[in-house]
Amino acid sequence: MQKKIRSGGFVFVEFAIALPLLILLLCGLGKVSIEIFRLGRDQLADYVLESEAQYVMEKITQEARAARIIEVDNTLHKIKIIYHAVDDNNELLEFNGGSEDVYYLFSDKDIWETRFFFHLKNKEAVKLYAKRNDDGRYNTPTTGENSFGETQITSLTYALDEEKKILHIELEMESLETRHKIKIATAVFVPGLENNL
Amino acid sequence: MLNVIFLTLITSFAAMILLNAAPRVKNSQSTIRTTALWLANEKFAYLESAAAVDNIAPTNSTSTKNFDDKDYQIKTEVDGANPYKVTVKVGWTVDGKNFEIESERTIWVAKENS
Repeated sequence: MQKKIRSGGFVFVEFAIALPLLILLLCGLGKVSIEIFRLGRDQLADYVLESEAQYVMEKITQEARAARIIEVDNTLHKIKIIYHAVDDNNELLEFNGGSEDVYYLFSDKDIWETRFFFHLKNKEAVKLYAKRNDDGRYNTPTTGENSFGETQITSLTYALDEEKKILHIELEMESLETRHKIKIATAVFVPGLENNL
Repeated sequence: MLNVIFLTLITSFAAMILLNAAPRVKNSQSTIRTTALWLANEKFAYLESAAAVDNIAPTNSTSTKNFDDKDYQIKTEVDGANPYKVTVKVGWTVDGKNFEIESERTIWVAKENS
């Protein structure tokens, strides 16, 4: 009777087939997981881009809406808005209306704020800066520096129609993470515009 | 044992893919919608400006300053007289399908008594 040399164990041929299969499977899983994380990162960066573009538009339209004077300088990519605002140093005035009721009144002083929006640094459009005076300092921007995706303004132009009292704003922003771009254009009616003052 | 581990891994990855795709499927055109919404605001600004000089009228003009009518189709409706109820519809097409947003605003022109 012939003696059986091996009945169990892992032969080389089995190993040679199983190992590449395992590697292939792991590679596939790895690729899928990398893709999932990349998609997630892109999606977050896109959300950031969109919300920052919205923020820029809201900030400018809100202040332009209450403006009395608007000065546009598209060569220096700058806009100066003098707008009506609530008094920062508001004192709470206690007012007794003659009875036991006490009313609190806020002062309604006419306060005019000046705001500069600019986005130029080294002749390149980058982030939006909102300042009370144009001192040329480029710190504390109001956009960008988000850890989920850096953004930059590629173009931001204004056009003022003094006759119709409409300010046109056109913005293009880019995400440095995904290189996706968003373009938003709008206009805002400025009822209190008095540029001839 | 290995089978169980692999199956669990594959199932969980599949779940992750689906979870990741879900918000995109639900709101696949958020950027276009944002642009359309601001475009509607642009139209509102024109209408407000017109209302201020008593010259408001529904316009079917599709032109805007920044986009041509190939990108977006814009319709306006004006109801009532001071206050005006204004409706702006902005439509766009993606892959042969039409999409639209509708935005409303009330415009009331306050005037000083002379």
